[in-house]
Amino acid sequence: MAVVSKEKVGAKPIHPLDRFLRLDRIPTLWCPGCGLGVILGTLLRAISRRVEERKLRPDRVVFVTGIGCTARTTFYVGFDGAHTLHGRAIAFATGAKLANPELELIVLGGDGDIAGIGGNHLIHAARRNMDLLVIMNTNFIYAMTGGQAAPTTPEGLYTTTTPRGNPEKPVNVIRLLSAFDVNYVARASTIYPHLLEQYLYKALGMKGFRFIEVVSTCPEVFGRHIGMRSPTALYSELKKRIRVKAKPGIEDSALDWSRGIVLGEYIENDYPGYTELMFRGVERK
Amino acid sequence: MRRVYARGNEAIAEAAITAGLKFYAGYPITPTSDIMEYLAERLPDRGGLMVQFEDEIASINAAIGASWAGAKSMTATSGPGFSLMVEGIGFAVITETPLVIAYVMRAGPSTGIPTKSTQADLLQARFGAHGDYIIPVYAPSSVQEAFDLTIKAFNTAEKLRTPVILLSDAVIAHLWETAVFREPSEVEIVSRKKPKTRPEYYKPYEPEEDYVAPMACFGEGYKVIVESLTHDEKGYYRQDTPTQRRMIERLTKKVLYNIDYVFEYDTYYTEYADYIFVSFGSSARSVLSAVRELRRKGVKAGLLKLKTLWPLDEDRVRNVCRRAKRVFVVENNIGKLVWDVERILRDKEVFSISIIDLDLPTPDEVLEVAMEWL
Amino acid sequence: MSETLVIRGTSSKYRITVIADRCKGCGICVLVCPTKVLVDGGEYNKYGYRYPLPENAEKCIGCRLCEYSCPDFAIFVEVVED
Repeated sequence: MAVVSKEKVGAKPIHPLDRFLRLDRIPTLWCPGCGLGVILGTLLRAISRRVEERKLRPDRVVFVTGIGCTARTTFYVGFDGAHTLHGRAIAFATGAKLANPELELIVLGGDGDIAGIGGNHLIHAARRNMDLLVIMNTNFIYAMTGGQAAPTTPEGLYTTTTPRGNPEKPVNVIRLLSAFDVNYVARASTIYPHLLEQYLYKALGMKGFRFIEVVSTCPEVFGRHIGMRSPTALYSELKKRIRVKAKPGIEDSALDWSRGIVLGEYIENDYPGYTELMFRGVERK
Repeated sequence: MRRVYARGNEAIAEAAITAGLKFYAGYPITPTSDIMEYLAERLPDRGGLMVQFEDEIASINAAIGASWAGAKSMTATSGPGFSLMVEGIGFAVITETPLVIAYVMRAGPSTGIPTKSTQADLLQARFGAHGDYIIPVYAPSSVQEAFDLTIKAFNTAEKLRTPVILLSDAVIAHLWETAVFREPSEVEIVSRKKPKTRPEYYKPYEPEEDYVAPMACFGEGYKVIVESLTHDEKGYYRQDTPTQRRMIERLTKKVLYNIDYVFEYDTYYTEYADYIFVSFGSSARSVLSAVRELRRKGVKAGLLKLKTLWPLDEDRVRNVCRRAKRVFVVENNIGKLVWDVERILRDKEVFSISIIDLDLPTPDEVLEVAMEWL
Repeated sequence: MSETLVIRGTSSKYRITVIADRCKGCGICVLVCPTKVLVDGGEYNKYGYRYPLPENAEKCIGCRLCEYSCPDFAIFVEVVED
């Protein structure tokens, strides 16, 4: 028989993930139904597992973000964190990792921050196979600033800067990264948090450049542009448009809101990371 | 220590190594690429890392990241590169990151003449980024000064938790002179203050009595927050006027309060001088020659050579020039330092000697203008 | 940090805890629960959001999909110790 009780509890950790959070900054500023909270919770679970296995030291974890909704993640985590400049988190994280290779750098950013203004740094970090875990939140819009077109905005969509329809095609970052010898490229979604956790957990145990694109819900801004501001309506809509494939090829990787988006692990390698190359040295030819 | 015959850029690189440089992030740009190349060869042997990045924006941000990971960091560039780095410098300012940026000026604007000199970027070095802030700017005028002021720049950056600009120019960069290079044990090396409190009580931006906050870095268990938004002492984003005021005060006061440490200058023949010439960098070399020539002619001329271009200790400048009848400001630009000198020496006649020269103004050029007003 | 309203629904096997004052009423947990444990109870938290009530806790199968899908660290499920 079920018992439902209510009580007022004082200031102390309640939720199992509270020990990783700055509780004085909770509730988060993210909108109801925003996928970012799911990404954060899932990431913390993956970190927690690695910490328990003694593969990761909490002191060595550093969150680095740029600017945007995703970037606010650093506000909430009880780890070393840097809320840097728009698009420059990857560059900052590269410097930090090379100056202290024992740190585990986790970069989070939106699609605009990572693949728009930060595009050049993304490309070169991938080219170097730099030892970073980059998590890109794809919500198809520039949400923090009110709904301008983003690099991943579907073609033809209304946004505040494309009121007559978006003339640009969305960027397929998975395909872009396939041009480089990187160690891990995957696409997940906040609709399937267990899958996301699996990928994050795996990535946290690897070296080199690891990239996970997370297709996520932004009900307040993207949802508003497509006429679905209700979190559950957008959630259900996104769920219809994604599917998981066991071993997807690059030909499956199109970020196509109309035709469907394929989740999965696209690239997996074990090349030496840039840090190893810098410290071990390379063969001079 | 050893006596060397070296060029300015080499002096900057060697001094950086002496001061404890551990991470250099850079991008090729004339006339600074040789600093990066020199460090590419030497820095790894001294326990440091030199990385060439994809652009100057990545360089400045990586240098800031490395500083927060505990390394003494540096980058070097010239006009076009500095213009790209300016947002990053603002970021270093608000996060109170120790960092040295060697800015070797070259003829501009824009691409200009990469291999030739100027002194046009004085104001950009001070105020390049948006927002209210004060950062130290040092200007060497010789190879020895390039060495000494680079060490001073690192010490200032660490002591005051601030980015520091070392403002050189294309002349000094490739000028060969004899100098004395010192070892770390022979000079004062300052490193950032570490927190004495436990992590639970530590606030990354809470200053001590000297107006500087101790700096815990990544990986030390202090859960530091590096925050580019306006923040309180904990590093939490705050959007109210009192917090903004407190923060701006923190950022500016720590430099101004330490102006005695920061402000460096040399005087030549200024005691009882009727005419004082104010200059800096490579121009000051010609001015010294001109002043000596005037003295030979019986004119009581003197030189105030500024080695710190910002902040200016205005009382000291007034004091040096107190007996002067006329003051001349010599610079290789359209006239920028003269605005400060006019303002500081309100009661004196101040003349601008602006000579745009792709090398450095010659003593004769300086004398030609000065003679009209003596 | 002031006091927080916490709702608990307990069955013989699982205890569902809703930290009501963190909830933003997105409704996703109610949507994804496979056995319809959670309902919109019509009550408001201190920020004006309607939080879910684990009224049908006896139907809970401990899948934790609510916990994983919640963006706000506002709901979690524990196994009841004997």
